[in-house]
Amino acid sequence: MLEKSLRLLCLVSGLVYPLLAIAQEGIFLKEPEAPKAVFSDATSFDRKEIRSTEELREKIRQRMGKTKTSLWEESYVTFIAKKGDTVLGYAVIVEEIGKHRPITFVVGVGSDRKIKDAALMVYREAYGGEVRDRRFLQQYKGKQLTDPLLPFRDIQNISGATLSVEAIGRGSKKALALVEVVFFEKAERQ
Amino acid sequence: MSIFLIFLLVLVSKPVIAQEADTRSEIRELREKLERLERKLADDEAMREKKTADERAALTEKVKKDVMSEVSAKGQSYFSKLIDQTKIGAYGSMRYGTSNLDDLHNTFTFRRFVMTMDSPIYERLKAYMELEFERFTSLELDKKLTRTSGGGLTSEVALEGTAKSEISMEQVWMQYDIADWLKFRGGAVLVPLGRFNINHDDNHWDLPRRSLVDKGTPVLPTTAAWPELGAGFLGDIPIGNTGKLSYQAYVMNGVTLNSEVEQIGQTRAGDTTKLAYEVKLQPSRGTFSDDVKKGKAIGTRWAYSPWLGDEIGASLYWGRYTPDFLPSKPVFSFAIDGKKTLGPFEIEGQYVNTQWSGVRGVARGLAQRAISSSSEAEIGDVETEVEFELANLASRKQGYWVDFRYRFWPEFLSNTILGTHFANPQLIATLRAEQVWFSGLLNSIAFTSGELTDFRTENRLLNRLTLGLTYRPVPLVALQLAYEYTRTNRGKSLSSVTNFLPARDGEYFQNAVLMGLAFGF
Repeated sequence: MLEKSLRLLCLVSGLVYPLLAIAQEGIFLKEPEAPKAVFSDATSFDRKEIRSTEELREKIRQRMGKTKTSLWEESYVTFIAKKGDTVLGYAVIVEEIGKHRPITFVVGVGSDRKIKDAALMVYREAYGGEVRDRRFLQQYKGKQLTDPLLPFRDIQNISGATLSVEAIGRGSKKALALVEVVFFEKAERQ
Repeated sequence: MSIFLIFLLVLVSKPVIAQEADTRSEIRELREKLERLERKLADDEAMREKKTADERAALTEKVKKDVMSEVSAKGQSYFSKLIDQTKIGAYGSMRYGTSNLDDLHNTFTFRRFVMTMDSPIYERLKAYMELEFERFTSLELDKKLTRTSGGGLTSEVALEGTAKSEISMEQVWMQYDIADWLKFRGGAVLVPLGRFNINHDDNHWDLPRRSLVDKGTPVLPTTAAWPELGAGFLGDIPIGNTGKLSYQAYVMNGVTLNSEVEQIGQTRAGDTTKLAYEVKLQPSRGTFSDDVKKGKAIGTRWAYSPWLGDEIGASLYWGRYTPDFLPSKPVFSFAIDGKKTLGPFEIEGQYVNTQWSGVRGVARGLAQRAISSSSEAEIGDVETEVEFELANLASRKQGYWVDFRYRFWPEFLSNTILGTHFANPQLIATLRAEQVWFSGLLNSIAFTSGELTDFRTENRLLNRLTLGLTYRPVPLVALQLAYEYTRTNRGKSLSSVTNFLPARDGEYFQNAVLMGLAFGF
C-alpha cells in the first residue's frame, strides 16, 4: 500500500514539476536567451554593447518625439541577428519604469525598420504582469517609430496595468530610435 | 725527615690548591653562565609564548572583526535591498456634490486615501498591503483614572473624532508564486465576488461614485472594498494563442452579523432628556480576530478572456452569516460580470444576486437572546432607552450596473492646457445604468419577552442613471464631472434602500451633480 502511494506520489510529482518549472515569476529571459526570443529564425547573433552618451541620448530623444523615456540606461546591449550572412535585424535590451520599478525587455527590430517581436525579460511590479503575455506583446509586431504605441490609441490596454502598457510602448520606441541611430543611419552614411 | 716531608707536601699542595680554586671558580662561572642561559631561555620561551598568545588573540580579533563586518555588511545589504525594493504607493479621491435632498448639503467629501505598500520578500514571495483612511480627519482618545476629591476613584474616557471617519485595513497578504497557474495567497484578501471588489481603486473608474450594487446599497453581502481573512489559490492558465482563464478561490472567516452601537443624547422641548443606545445588527466583513461563528465561507471567481480587452467572469460566495448565539443561516451570492472592448467603445458590467437565508428565523433567534427589542426607563428628567434592531437584510437582493464608455481626444485640445504637457491625455464619456431589486427587505422588527411580535418586510426597486465626462491627463489621474438621477418606489424614502442618502420620508428621487478628483501614485 505504502509502495503504491509512493509510486503515485512520484508519478504526480513527475507530471506536476515540469509544469511548475515552466513558469518563473520575475525573471523570464536571461541575456543570452533574449535575441533568440525575438529572432527565432536567426542562426547567429553578434553582441554589441553601446555606451549611452549624451549625444546618443539627444539623437534618440529627437526621434522619439513627444514620447519621453522614464530612464536612460548607461549602455545598451544589442545583438545583430543573422541567418547565414544575411542580417535579419537588431535586438535591443531596454528598460522603462512601470509604476514603481523598471521593466526589462528585448525588442527585435527587423531590417524593414519595424518591430519584429518583443519579449519580457524581467518584471518587478506587484501588479500588471499581464504585459508579459504573448497575446499582449504580439500587438507590437509591425509597429514603427512613427506609430504612437499608446494604450487606447494603437495598443489594446490591459485594465489595471495601464502604466506597464505605456512603459512597454516607451521602451519599444526607444529601441526603434536606437536601432535607427546606431545601425540604419550609420549604414546609410557609409 | 718528617719536616722534609711536610715541606715537600706543602710545595706540592700549593699548586694543587691553586688549581682546585681555579676549577671551583670555573665551575661557578659555568654554573652562572648556565643559569643565565636558562633564564634567557625561559625568558625567550615566555616571550615566545606571549607573542604567540598575542598573535593568536590578534588573529582571533581580526577574524571576529571580519566575520562581524561581513555579517553586518550582509545584513545591511539585505535590509537596504529590502527597503529599496519595498514601494509605497497610494490612491485617493475627493468629490464635490450638490443634491436636491433637503438634508444633503452641497459639500466637498474626502472619499478616501489609501496607502499601498508592496515588497518582493524573496524570489516568488511577495507581500502587499492597503490601509484606508475613509473620510478621515482625526481620532483622539483620552483616558484618565484619578482620585475623587473626598474619596473614591474617577475613570474618564474621552473620544474625539470626525464624523463618518474610518481607518480600515483593506488588504494585507503574502503570496507565494509557485507557478503562473498556481499562486498561494494568505491574509486579508479581497473577496472575488464580481469584478469591482477586486479592482476597486477609485482612480481606475471614471465616475465619482461607486456603484449601488457594490457600495451604495449594497447587493454584495457587505460594502466594497470587502476583504476577508483567509487563504487560497489564484492563477492564470493560457488557452490557445490569445485566450486566458483566471481563477481565485479562498476559504475565509466570512461576512457576519456584527453589532454597531449608536449612542444618542437628546434634549427635547417640553419633554425629558433622552439617552438612547441603538444596537444595530447588520452584515459586515468578518472578524480579523477569533471568528464569532463556527462555519467558514468560500469564495471563488473564474474569468475567461478570449482575447485582450474582453472578459467574462462568474463568481460565487457562500458562508454562514450568523454568529454562534443565533441560528445557523447561510448567505449565498453569485455574480456574472464582463467587459467588451470595441475600439474606443467599452461595455463593462456586473450582475450580483444575494440570498440571505432564514431572515425571520434570525429575527426570532435575536428575540430569544435579546428578550426585548426596546427597553426604556425614566429616572427624574432623564429617559434611557435601549433598542435592538436587524438591518440591511433582505431575503434576496439582486442588481446590476453597466457602463458604456467612449474614449476620445479631439486633436485641437492637444495644444491647450489640457493636452500640451501630456503624452496621451484622454476624455471618457460614460453612461452608467443601475438597478437593484429587493425582495423581503426587512423593514422593522419588534420583540418582547423573547417573542417576535412584529416582522415587516417589503419589496423595493432602486434605479440610478449617471452620465459622466472624465478627463485623464495621465492614466492615474481623473477629473470627473457627472450628473446622476436616483429613484426608488414613489412615496418611499431613498434612505431605506441606500446607505449614503439621508432622504426624508417621501423623498424618493435625487438629482445630483458631482465633481470628482481621483489620483494614484
